[in-house]
Amino acid sequence: MNARDDRIRQVVAELDVHIAEVEARVAVLKSLLAEDEGPGEGDPS
Amino acid sequence: MTDVTSETLRRWRESQGWDVPRMARELRKAARDTGEDVAAHHGLVKMIPQWERGARAPRERYRLLYLKIFDDALSFSRGATIGVDFAVRLAELRSRADGLPVPGEVRALETAALARPRRTRTPAEIRALAAEAVAQLHEIAGKLTELSALLGDDQVGEGKS
Repeated sequence: MNARDDRIRQVVAELDVHIAEVEARVAVLKSLLAEDEGPGEGDPS
Repeated sequence: MTDVTSETLRRWRESQGWDVPRMARELRKAARDTGEDVAAHHGLVKMIPQWERGARAPRERYRLLYLKIFDDALSFSRGATIGVDFAVRLAELRSRADGLPVPGEVRALETAALARPRRTRTPAEIRALAAEAVAQLHEIAGKLTELSALLGDDQVGEGKS
């Protein structure tokens, strides 16, 4: 395996981490908005 | 190729970011290179999904063409092969990256989240979450560009900017 292949694997690993972190942060933001769509105070259920 | 499933054929194709017509062109190109006689483009476009669904099995000449194509396509460089598992991982990463919001969408989420008081997050935390997500989207775009250059293709991803 040469340096280029090593770098490819490293970039892929870093991408994996970055993507997972963005997914997690976006999920938190969306969960906050989901509060708006939950049962409201006047909801009889 | 007895251990190559129909699902593997689909994954191999998707690992390169190829649609079915592109796969058909690649098969015909590989056939031309070796002097093989294969079906016309429109015939292959019909057959490839059938092979990938397992509805029918590719004949030997097509199986050999698949091996020839992906032996080349899954190679990073001379003497080094990434292997199917790694190519599949790349395809999954591309798919996940494509599914991420663009920075403007993150900002819109931030604005919406800040529009009302939240029980679980302070406004400062919400702003920090959005800022970190946007910064990482730029990092991802840069990494995808670098990966594209390293792989010598233009299909790793469009990037998020």
